[in-house]
Amino acid sequence: MTDTAPSANVHDIGGSLGWGAVPYIRDEAPFHHDWERRVFGMLFQVLSRTAQRPGEFRYALERLSDEDYFCLDGYYGRWRAAIELLLEEYGHLEAGELDTRLGLPLGNGVSNRAAKVAEVLEQNMPPDRVAPRPSHRTVRRELETPSRFKIGDVVVAVGITGSAHTRVPQYVRGVSGQVVNIHPVEVLPDSTAFDLGDRPQHVICVAYRAEDLWGRGSEEGVIINVDLYECYLRFGKEMP
Amino acid sequence: MLFALREGDAVNEHSRPNQGAASSPEVRTEALEDLLIEKGLIDKARVDALIERFEHDLGPLVGAKLIARSWIDPEFKTRLLADADQVLQDEGIGGAEIEHVEVKANQPSIHNLVVCTLCSCYPWALLGLPPSWYKSSEYRARAVREPRSLLRQMGLDLSEEVEIRVWDSSSETRFLVLPERPAGSDNMDLEALASLVTRDAMIGVAKATNP
Repeated sequence: MTDTAPSANVHDIGGSLGWGAVPYIRDEAPFHHDWERRVFGMLFQVLSRTAQRPGEFRYALERLSDEDYFCLDGYYGRWRAAIELLLEEYGHLEAGELDTRLGLPLGNGVSNRAAKVAEVLEQNMPPDRVAPRPSHRTVRRELETPSRFKIGDVVVAVGITGSAHTRVPQYVRGVSGQVVNIHPVEVLPDSTAFDLGDRPQHVICVAYRAEDLWGRGSEEGVIINVDLYECYLRFGKEMP
Repeated sequence: MLFALREGDAVNEHSRPNQGAASSPEVRTEALEDLLIEKGLIDKARVDALIERFEHDLGPLVGAKLIARSWIDPEFKTRLLADADQVLQDEGIGGAEIEHVEVKANQPSIHNLVVCTLCSCYPWALLGLPPSWYKSSEYRARAVREPRSLLRQMGLDLSEEVEIRVWDSSSETRFLVLPERPAGSDNMDLEALASLVTRDAMIGVAKATNP
């Protein structure tokens, strides 16, 4: 990593510079240590008592400090940090309870470093729309209104929900791309992560040319496709 | 300063700041699990069962069979590319992280690559749990910026003539790459063909194995 943070949000690292070789192991096993298995196995029972809404667990990960997000214990270390954070925030663990049990000094816990849940204003959200909630647990919804956009339209992501959790990667903001597909309707994580309603959205797959995202000197013959919730998008201008 | 170390790097316990064995991942994870069991927040048998299911019952073979079948059955391939959700429903394939699936076919002039730059979204029920490299910052950052150079470093040297299409999994759609059928596999049956379809090929960082 370079000295500068890749973006305002610890997780939003797509396209950031300064990373080395991918630690690639062909046909790598999913777990390297038994503790990683235990973290994985615990997560879903913890989530059933904490972050249940779509986007809420991702938002907990995003609120971790750089130190915990890019922690030395890797991906499952990051998950464990988010588990500790959520358990404290939902009142299942006292602050520092795990450290006390381990005989470690207090005040160094994950929650001391993590960002608090931000206040998100409902007035900035797109209007909610009536869509029947299926009987099974799913992010999918049905909308009678078709998308404002159609395949071939030129669009630009502006990301106006103002939410502290959003699915617009920084690297596409303000850049024009072309609609190549329209996915089924989903609830809007910017809203559901904060319990502000489903606000179902068509999901638009937008294709960007590498040269439009990264400028001259970028790799040739590369298209990057990004799925964006309809409310993130406006009609854009064709790139030269 | 922590950034100087790659996440997941093996770290000597003595180099961990302000700590000793009590903060090793093994000890901390075990203490957390014990605490949650004592509080009745989790059930150990269910933890064990979940690990067992995801580590042993689910794996890339589910996806590999779909790919192998589409190699020998053009009508199936057409359906898989047009409406993977319907195919999965017809085949009775369901589960975690595959609410909406799209399959992207490689061609001689097009190569597809899947990433999730914002987190590590991945079609669990088709490929099993993701490998660490897929979740690494290096892969997430570079796959959208310099995929050609990234793939070359990972052992896949594509001709400059081949267009690379990267799919950033930023919504709940999950992507699966349909690799090209390797030469010399003409007489192989479904099971043998499926053994050529590696997980890494269905993510798009490798080609299907040559027979």
